[in-house]
Amino acid sequence: MDLTLTEAQQAWQLKARKFATEVLRPRSLARDRITDPCATFDWEVIREGSRLGFRTLVVDKKFGGHGVDLITQALVIIELAKGDSAMAKTFSQCWKWTHLLQGGCTPQQLERFVRPFAEDETFLLGQAGTEPNSGSDHRLPPEEDPRAGWRLKAEPVDNSEGADWILNGEKCFIANGSVARLFLIGTRTNPNVPQKEGGTMFAVPVGTPGMRIGKVFNKSGWRFYQNAELIFENCRVPHANVIGKVNGGHGVRNGPARLFGDFELGANALGICDAAVEMATQFAATHWPQSRYFKDNQAVQLKLSEMHMLTEALRSFVLRVAAEGEAKTGNAANNAILLQNFATDALQRVTALNMDIHAGAGVAMMHAGADKLERDAVIWTHLAGDSVQRMKAVRKH
Amino acid sequence: MYNLHLTPEQQEFRDTVRDFVEREIKPVILHPDHLQNFSKRLPVALIDQASQMGLRSLALSEALGGAGADNLTSCIVAEELAVGDIGIAVTLVETSRLAHLLFDQMMTNEQRQRFLPAFVADDRFHLAFAMHAPDAELGLKYHRELTDAPVCRLSAVRQSNGDWIVNGTTGFVQNAPVAKLIAVQAGEGASADKIVSLLMPAETAGMTVCDLAANAEAVKWFHGSGGELVFKDCRVPAANVLATSSGGTATLAAIAAGRGNPIMSAMNIGIARAAYEAAVTYAKLRVQGARHIIQHQAIGNILADVAIKIEVARNMVRQAAWASDHPEAVADRSVSDLPLQTVAKVFTSETMYAATEEAAECFGAMGVMLDMPLAKYVQEARVFLHSIDSNNVAKLRVAEAVAGFERGARTPE
Repeated sequence: MDLTLTEAQQAWQLKARKFATEVLRPRSLARDRITDPCATFDWEVIREGSRLGFRTLVVDKKFGGHGVDLITQALVIIELAKGDSAMAKTFSQCWKWTHLLQGGCTPQQLERFVRPFAEDETFLLGQAGTEPNSGSDHRLPPEEDPRAGWRLKAEPVDNSEGADWILNGEKCFIANGSVARLFLIGTRTNPNVPQKEGGTMFAVPVGTPGMRIGKVFNKSGWRFYQNAELIFENCRVPHANVIGKVNGGHGVRNGPARLFGDFELGANALGICDAAVEMATQFAATHWPQSRYFKDNQAVQLKLSEMHMLTEALRSFVLRVAAEGEAKTGNAANNAILLQNFATDALQRVTALNMDIHAGAGVAMMHAGADKLERDAVIWTHLAGDSVQRMKAVRKH
Repeated sequence: MYNLHLTPEQQEFRDTVRDFVEREIKPVILHPDHLQNFSKRLPVALIDQASQMGLRSLALSEALGGAGADNLTSCIVAEELAVGDIGIAVTLVETSRLAHLLFDQMMTNEQRQRFLPAFVADDRFHLAFAMHAPDAELGLKYHRELTDAPVCRLSAVRQSNGDWIVNGTTGFVQNAPVAKLIAVQAGEGASADKIVSLLMPAETAGMTVCDLAANAEAVKWFHGSGGELVFKDCRVPAANVLATSSGGTATLAAIAAGRGNPIMSAMNIGIARAAYEAAVTYAKLRVQGARHIIQHQAIGNILADVAIKIEVARNMVRQAAWASDHPEAVADRSVSDLPLQTVAKVFTSETMYAATEEAAECFGAMGVMLDMPLAKYVQEARVFLHSIDSNNVAKLRVAEAVAGFERGARTPE
């Protein structure tokens, strides 16, 4: 496996590093501290990132995007997440749904959905799967039970061919929920069969009558990242907005977006690990005058060593899955799941060690930067590292 | 012999506090508005109620108006209180342990007469103790003699009439913002070799309490309330001298040796237990597919893990508490002579943080939402990893005990 970066890959990496250093990092802690979860978002970050191409990184070149490969996507996420993990995720969330749209849309739909997204620097994408009673924590067996899975109902207004659909139900924790302009909504079109066979994906622009945004969730970490409720009350959507086939939602969701969704959490975790390693190394080198304790402090050196080890192991894993995904070799999709599981363990250990090194002893005020990294890392438990996510790779999904 | 059968008094204390937690504390503390408030103030009304139940003076001897609880009983009660709220628990526990230390052990009769009636009568009379602690990072100097002369943050200079003048700034002092009487250890001429302990009523001229919660920019890394004390030519009358030798009591010596009351660890268990109980309740309610999630192996494994950790940690804490009540059992080698308070602290903080995180996992995304209880428990359990001694330092203290190393007279280089 050749990990030499091309000039184009290096250029994106440097551009992302500059953006993260100059725009994301300086705003990171201030945004995290805002108590109102709706007010943590900063459109200036999106506009500036859009101008540099980060919002539309995977959009096909014919729509004005950059169409970069998976290795470049990894390199950019790592750099952005090193600046601020939640801001990085806001951008890469758009890539995930770009992957889905480009994999599942007809040419007309691409013009209707991808082109406007590509052309507007404040256009963000979202997708809604999770519901109050059906989400990633609901994918434990029996997934084949018709009672499991999406319950948001989509019904045709009449029996005519190509009739409009009426959506009713509720989604929760939806990423970019309060800021996206277009959502891909997972619906149940046949409640009598498992979700795999009875789910349909719709594209629903914000502003469609009958759809509204509910509460924005107040999380302990990733505070910049917006997760919200979406509520559908007799929301009418044209048949032309069905992505893929009716009752074919599962296939659409499990296209390239599935691999990317697991993969990006590995890459994002790596960015946080890089930030933690840098923070801890600098602290250890400067905190004790004349290295009074550091040179004699094996406990701190062992912690730094473990942080480096886990971070470099994670880097290898991220790049391996990127290479496999790009070359479509190996079992990239399953390895991406294992990657996000491993990333959870590595990230939480690395950020805890960073806090350990900063905490010293008898300190009444914790290091705000180290604290934020650890709070962001906790999010992985509920996203990439819980039992459901760990059993996924060994079962069909 | 170590006996795990709780006495009727211990059971009554435990059950009364458990009931108070369920009826009074949880509805206030777990209300979403309280949970989401970034600048939390101490829930004073609840602390007052708990004071009226006798929890503020639990460890004070019965002769002086307290309940005379030993360390083990105090730990049992502290765990229960912390199930409700760590801020409430830590405030009361600090006052209670200091009531025993100051009134029962350190004060002269004359001092007791001056301060005890007000303490007993006033539900809001809390105590704080600004103890001299060696530079915490010296703990990282494992198995090495110190080359720098240890200094004390506070300097006390004796006046010709016997009064003392104190100058300097302390580190973090638990309860300082709510304490009406504060004991302070200062070094005679800033020397850590000669420590004098002084009593300071809260209104003492020349002493300023800086509430650390008032600093909105900083991220709080302690429980309850705490502050720094700043002394500027603060005059303390000779009548307020508690002790002039360093240490002062066997209790202080035990704390310094890591063999004191492991009551912080008892409260740490209380947080994990609150998370655990919430997870069990939720797992029995939440249906997934066709079953309650508690019927899934994955969730069962988590709950078992958490239960095992709590049981083992509680064993460690109770043993350490009992040993601190029975130093003779350490002396005759019935129990380990390792610093069991420190052993319990490291083990409990690590396992209880893991247990709290695991309990939160059962809640899915709701486990990280600030308007839900689990995010509170996770954050509060995390603080224990680094409070008192950080575990970095605490482990090295245990290691020094294992190695039989005692830091002797310093050897100048």
